[in-house]
Amino acid sequence: MITKYLLPILAVLGIGFAVFTVIKGSKTIPPALPVVKPAIPPFKSSVAGAGIVEANTENISVGTLIPGVVTEIYVSIGSKVKAHDPLFKLDDRDLWAQLAVRRAALRVAMASVRVAKESLADLKNQFALAESLSDKRAMSIEELDKRRYAALVAEAKLAQVRADVSSSKAQVKETLTNLDRIIVRAPRDGEILQLKIHLGEFAPAGITQTPLVLFGNVKPLNIRVDVDENDAWRVDASAPAVAFLRGNREIKTPLKFVRFEPYVIPKKSLTGDSTERVDTRVLQVIYSIERSDLPIYAGQQMDVFIESSEPIPASGAIPQTKQTETDEVKS
Amino acid sequence: MNFIALKMLVGNRARYLSIVIGLTFASLLITQQSAIFMGLMTRTFGFLTDTALPDIWVMDPKVQYIDDIKPLKETESIRVRSVEGVAWAVPLYKGLLKARLSNGTFQTCNVIGLDDETLIGGPPRMLQGKLSELRRSDAIIVNDIGAAGKLATVLPDGRRVPLKIGDTMELNDHRAVVVGICQVQRTFQSQPVVYTTYSRATVFAPRERKLLSFVAAKAKPGQDFHTLCQRICKTTGLAAYTKDEFKKLTIRYYMKYTGIPVNFGTTVVLGFIVGIAIAGQTFFSFTLDNLRYFGTLKAMGATDRVLLQMILLQAALVGSIGYGLGVGTASALGTLLGRTELSFLLTWQLLLVSASAVMVICAVSAILSMRKVIRLEPAVVFQS
Repeated sequence: MITKYLLPILAVLGIGFAVFTVIKGSKTIPPALPVVKPAIPPFKSSVAGAGIVEANTENISVGTLIPGVVTEIYVSIGSKVKAHDPLFKLDDRDLWAQLAVRRAALRVAMASVRVAKESLADLKNQFALAESLSDKRAMSIEELDKRRYAALVAEAKLAQVRADVSSSKAQVKETLTNLDRIIVRAPRDGEILQLKIHLGEFAPAGITQTPLVLFGNVKPLNIRVDVDENDAWRVDASAPAVAFLRGNREIKTPLKFVRFEPYVIPKKSLTGDSTERVDTRVLQVIYSIERSDLPIYAGQQMDVFIESSEPIPASGAIPQTKQTETDEVKS
Repeated sequence: MNFIALKMLVGNRARYLSIVIGLTFASLLITQQSAIFMGLMTRTFGFLTDTALPDIWVMDPKVQYIDDIKPLKETESIRVRSVEGVAWAVPLYKGLLKARLSNGTFQTCNVIGLDDETLIGGPPRMLQGKLSELRRSDAIIVNDIGAAGKLATVLPDGRRVPLKIGDTMELNDHRAVVVGICQVQRTFQSQPVVYTTYSRATVFAPRERKLLSFVAAKAKPGQDFHTLCQRICKTTGLAAYTKDEFKKLTIRYYMKYTGIPVNFGTTVVLGFIVGIAIAGQTFFSFTLDNLRYFGTLKAMGATDRVLLQMILLQAALVGSIGYGLGVGTASALGTLLGRTELSFLLTWQLLLVSASAVMVICAVSAILSMRKVIRLEPAVVFQS
């Protein structure tokens, strides 16, 4: 009984289970969908580039000529300012003290002028008196000469103290200029993009790694597009270009060509390592973002596609096998 | 007549069982070993099975298989995006990085860096957390097997506490926070799989000039994959493969440079030989045992044709039973051990292969037996 029916039944079950295993095993798990849909080139043939949004004035990192501690900040992040509006001020107490000293020195100099004037008048008078004597014998020649030279010296002294006055005036003016220079002003109309200096912080003169104030005009925004040097020849200034915002490809904007950066630069890698060797060089193309109503900010990355009518030449590229040969020769 | 044949077969219980057991083992060995082999081979490109969204994989022309990473320049993903017919192309990092666990031990992990924006190439099944949480700082997603196994914390009493959401670990001296647990295909080297974003992966990775492992691209609708691959090759000078080509490339490498196919092939051949040796021989001696009955039947006027039919029927019956039991046992073993490190993939091709192997064994045994029956003189019955 067992051998008669059990084995065939088991065998049928076995085959059934095997088929079930096959079906179960061949089921594929659907792939994970992208969190955000990637930008798809809107043109038939296009050159792709990575763009970074910037101000149309380029991003200006405002510096100070005189180092010092910041005592006053007139703007906040995002403030819109006109050209020559003050941005921040450095500590000025030493300059005010200097101004007081120099003003006092000016007053001293001016007082000396009066002294010199009076003494010149006195000596001139004495000399004139001596000369007007009718009897020349009443005074020795020596005495007369002495009076003449004394008057001349007094005249020279007056000129000297007058020069001292203008020197003191210039010094006062210098201090006043310095007082003006410690107020850092906006170079042109624009917006404060970054404010990295705070009250009480020391602002060094010269180029700083993080700008004290990052400044630029953001209406309209520009976009700086990196195109690999190998594709640079395909970029046409008059070709339409579209930029897609990262994170939402529905946010896209047509671009207006502004200029090529005529110098092809090594690509900056995002890893930020200073010892990094140059990967490749990129041509930078500057476009203006035509739509201003979109939530696009300076410093943001965008995917850019530039239409290219040039077909990619089949003959221009090196066939794969040939390339391997040259590689081997090199190694 | 067929009834007599069956009666004859089942009646001799010992012989019947040993034939069936022989065939069962033969088909079990053949099916199970080749299923493990298939499983192992699919494991080599498990990453490609998980990352099914891209159609085309672009890499260095010298890449031999999937774990043979020859990094590219970072701008190559933009260059691929510039090729006509490409809908999108995203950078992908894949590499082995050292993780330091809380108890101080080191574990090599298979780290996969996804495009920061789209996170294309993510794990197909998330058990906990969401893929989009990778956007958080220092975030990583770990596979369930890795989290519960090699990356788990071992307590002093030997218990393992699996890695869970919110736990931190060190990847190459950088802090990493687990934000999700996913399920992926087991890897060939069975390392834990860690997903993160591309830029974070480049921070985790040791300093190298180039870090981009692959460019994963999708064709625009209506594009022929092969023409597109050729176009990408011509334009960028890189190698471009479709998903299936890349899988084949990987398998070919393992076939050529590892002993795996030879090892498994040997076992399959052994199974076949064991099948012939046990089942064939038993079937033959079974026929010899029953020669008297065949002689009787022949003397009663049964033609050779009828007798042959009887033998064939017997062979077919034991063959199917043995086969059924064999593949059933193999599948059961595979299912039972499916949760362990054992790789087991049964495909319909394998079922056909083992079926034909069993058929060959039965045919050989039947032919041997038939010769005996045809040569049989009916007089034999009366000799004893």
